[in-house]
Amino acid sequence: MCKKLAESIRRKPSIGWVLFVIVMVLVFLLGLLAASITERRAEIATLYNNKKVEITGINPKSEEWGLNYPREYNTWKKTKEMDFQSKHLGSNTYDILETRPEMVILWAGYAFSRDYTAPRGHMYTIEDVTQTLRTGTPGPDVKDMQPATCWACKSPDVPRMMQEVGIENFYKAGWSQYGAEVVNPIGCADCHDPATMNLTITRPALIEVYERRGEDIADATPQEMRSLVCAQCHVEYYFKGDEKYLTFPWDGGFTMEDMEAYFDNAEYADWTHSVSKAPMLKAQHPDYELFILGPHAKRGLSCGDCHMPYIAEGGIKYSDHQVMSPLKNISSTCQTCHRDSEEELRNYVYEYQDKALEIRDRVEVELAKAHIMAKIAWDNGAKEARMKTALQLIRQAQWRWDFGVASHGGSFHAPVETQRILAHGLDRSMQAQIELQKVLFELGVTKFEMPDISTKAKAQKFIGLDMEKLEKEKKDWIQNTPPIWIETARANGKLGAN
Amino acid sequence: MKKLLNIIPRVFVVPLFVVAGIIVGLGAYTVYVARLHTYATDEPSACINCHIMVPYYQSWEQSSHREWAHCNDCHVPQDNFVNKYAFKAADGLYHSAVFTLRNEPMAIRPRNASNRVIMENCVRCHTQLTTEFVKAGQISYSEASQGEGKACWDCHRDIPHTVVSNIASSPNAIAPLPESPVPTWLKEMIKK
Repeated sequence: MCKKLAESIRRKPSIGWVLFVIVMVLVFLLGLLAASITERRAEIATLYNNKKVEITGINPKSEEWGLNYPREYNTWKKTKEMDFQSKHLGSNTYDILETRPEMVILWAGYAFSRDYTAPRGHMYTIEDVTQTLRTGTPGPDVKDMQPATCWACKSPDVPRMMQEVGIENFYKAGWSQYGAEVVNPIGCADCHDPATMNLTITRPALIEVYERRGEDIADATPQEMRSLVCAQCHVEYYFKGDEKYLTFPWDGGFTMEDMEAYFDNAEYADWTHSVSKAPMLKAQHPDYELFILGPHAKRGLSCGDCHMPYIAEGGIKYSDHQVMSPLKNISSTCQTCHRDSEEELRNYVYEYQDKALEIRDRVEVELAKAHIMAKIAWDNGAKEARMKTALQLIRQAQWRWDFGVASHGGSFHAPVETQRILAHGLDRSMQAQIELQKVLFELGVTKFEMPDISTKAKAQKFIGLDMEKLEKEKKDWIQNTPPIWIETARANGKLGAN
Repeated sequence: MKKLLNIIPRVFVVPLFVVAGIIVGLGAYTVYVARLHTYATDEPSACINCHIMVPYYQSWEQSSHREWAHCNDCHVPQDNFVNKYAFKAADGLYHSAVFTLRNEPMAIRPRNASNRVIMENCVRCHTQLTTEFVKAGQISYSEASQGEGKACWDCHRDIPHTVVSNIASSPNAIAPLPESPVPTWLKEMIKK
C-alpha cells in the first residue's frame, strides 16, 4: 500500500501535498485537544473551591487544614527552618545570656536569669517552652514553677482546652497539668475560622482588653486583623492575681509610660530582685505596641504585609506563612513599595538596629552596676526607707530597658520611640547610681569592688544559681516527662503529624 | 519537485510528507497557542499573554496614561522600526526565559536598558514640558543614573504603575486575558 502511494506521489506530487495538509491539520487538532486537557487539569488548582476535608470546631491539627490549603500549610511548615541569619538575630536559636551576661544580673531572682535564648519559628513553640529551664522540672515530687498561663501562646490546643475546662480554670492550673493536652505548635486554628478561613481572635485576653477600653474587636477591618491576630501574643502582658489570669495592661493606653502607670497604680511587681531587692517589672515583648507607633504602621501597614508577604505562584495568590524576618525576602517585602536596591534596604534596617543597640549595650552595663551597688548598700546596713528612691529608679530603668529590648523588632518597627525609651532607661540607670552613691556615702562606704560578671557562668554564680544542678535536673526531666506527654497525647488522638 | 521525489528512495516518499506535516502542524499550533502573532502588534493585551503582568496592566489601565500611551509607547524604543523590533525581541526573549525558568522576582522592575528607553519615551511625548519649561528632559537616563540629575520617576514615583506594586498585588484583576485556545466547536463536541 505504501509502495503504491509512493509511486502515485512520484507521478503526481499534489497527492503528497494533500497528505501533508491532512497530517498537519490532524496534528493541529491533536494540539487543541491537548490544550483542552491542560485546561481541565488547571481547574483542579482552584483549591479553595475544591476543599478535600471539612474542618469544624477548634481543630489544632494543622496537617488536616493543610489538605485544603497546601500552599499556606507548606510555607507554615518552613518555620522549622533555621538557616537564616541577619546581622542581629535570625531564624536560629542561640544562648543570649552567654553573649550578654549582664542580663543574668538584671533578671536575678527571676527565671529568665537561668536561661534565655534567641527565638525560633512557630513550629518550635512546644519544644522550646518544654525544654527551657524557665519551666522547671514539675512532677509528682516537684511543684510547678509556672502556671498553665505559660501555654497560652504556644498552641491551638489552648483555645480547645479553654473551651473544655473554662478560661479561668485553664489559667490557674499548674503548667504541667496540660503537658499531654497542649502538644501541637502554633498553627492554623490560632488565627483562622475554619468555616470561612477569615482571620479570627482565639485568645480571650485581647478581646477582654478591647472590652475594658470600650471598643469592640469585631469592628476591626481585615487589614487591622492582619496585625491583631499577631497581637494575641506578640504584646506586653502579665499574669493577674493568684488566678494567674492573662491580662494586657492597655487600659490607659499603649505607650511604655501608659503601661508603667497601670502597673504602678496596681502596685504590681513581677518579682523582687534578688540582688538589689527592687520591685521589678518584666516587659514581655511589646511588638505590637511599638509597631503601631512606627512609620510603617502609621502608613497603614500590618504585620502580615512584611512578615507574611503575598506570593503569586502560577495564577494563585497566597500569603507566605513562613512568618519570619522580612530581610529574608526583601524582593517580595520592602521592594514592593521601596525602589532602593536590596543592599541599600538591608543597610537601612541595620542602621536603625545598630543605633538602638548602641544605647542598649550601655544601659545593660550601667543598670547591672546599679543593682550591684544597691546590694552593697544593703550589705552595709542601708535602711529600707532610704533605699526607696533608688529602688524605684532601678525599677523604672529596667522597665525601659526591657520594653525597648524584649521586642526584638522594636528598633526597626519604631526606631525613634525605641531609642527614646532606651535613652530614658540609660538616664534612670545613671540617676539610680547617683542616688545609691549618696546612700553609700552616708553609710561611709567610699570604696567598693564590682564582681566579675564577664561570662554567663560567672554572673550566674554571683547571683547564687547552681546551674549544674538545674541543668542536670532538666536534662533528666526532658528524657523522662515530655515523652510520656507525647505518648499520652498520641494515644488520645490529640497529636498532629507535625 | 518530481525530480526530487524520483531521486530519494521510494520508502522515504510517504514519510517525507507525513513528517513535514507533523513539524509544520506542531509549529503552527505553537504559534497559535503562544499567540505569537499578537506580539507584532501594539496591543496592550499582548503583554498579558503572560499572566504575571496582570497587576502592571491593571495599574496602567487605571492611570491617566491609558488614554495616550500603550505599553509599547513607553517600554520599547520609538525612534525607528529596526530599533523598536530588535529591542522588543530581545526583551521578549529575556522575559520568556525568566518566566519559563520560574525565576521571576516578586517585584518586577525595569533593567537599565529598559530605564533608558522609558526615559527617552517620557521626553518624546512631554517634549515641550521637559525641554523648554524645565530642563529635566535635557539629560539622558545614563547621566541621571550617574547622579548628574534626576530620572523622571525619581519624582513622579507613582506614574503610572503606582508605588505599591508587585506581581502578587492584583493578579486577579479584570483584564483582557487570552481566551481559551480551545475553539467553541471543539468544546461543544467534547461536551456531547
